[in-house]
Amino acid sequence: MAMSIAHRISGIALYVGVLLLAWFLIAASADASSFAVVSGFLGSFIGQVVLFLLTWALFHHLVGGVRHIVWDAGYGLDAPLRDQLAWATLIGGFVLSVLVWIIGYAVW
Amino acid sequence: MVDHPSDLRTPLGRVRFLGSARMGTTDAWIVHVTAVALAPLALGFVWLILDLLHKDYNGVRAELGRPIPAMVLLAFVLAGIVHMELGMRSIIVDYVGGQPRAWALAANTCFAALLALACVYATLRVAFT
Repeated sequence: MAMSIAHRISGIALYVGVLLLAWFLIAASADASSFAVVSGFLGSFIGQVVLFLLTWALFHHLVGGVRHIVWDAGYGLDAPLRDQLAWATLIGGFVLSVLVWIIGYAVW
Repeated sequence: MVDHPSDLRTPLGRVRFLGSARMGTTDAWIVHVTAVALAPLALGFVWLILDLLHKDYNGVRAELGRPIPAMVLLAFVLAGIVHMELGMRSIIVDYVGGQPRAWALAANTCFAALLALACVYATLRVAFT
């Protein structure tokens, strides 16, 4: 039940987060000075926190979506596996987000 | 599937045109189709954004000028915005009632349409100029 609302909250976060993508794309299509404003925001501490939370929302929602597809196929609805899937979604989404940030900072 | 032996309708025939908007399961189906499309597209999108965030203005424009990155971005944006519009619609229907519901549904559709236009227009402008 808690995971259901977490799926919705992450969905709402992504809904709002598309505004940031639109801002980024519009600035890139406009000129170098508008792009510098978005770039400056994304590089700031607040920008990085927002980006991390959006990464987490994206991966949480993605893994949660896979769980829904598994359910639709008729699997994973019974008691032990159901709880394990909930934990896998919660942990998996967070681990994938951290992994992407490690790649972004250390590997790229 | 046959609960009533006298019912000769197929399972599809029973769910078609159900609901107050007579749309049957169309919305739920589109949410699922876009979800399946978005799973690989989201990975491509994250890859693209990681790349773009490590580039300057000219680098970003050059990257989005290439066909594959531009198409991955456009596919992700279009499927994503259709998916989020339908997702928000089900949230509104669950939590908002009466007259505010109509306004919230209209605002949701307009917001999604404007965002889609803005993202597609900006991407194509970068790609073609």
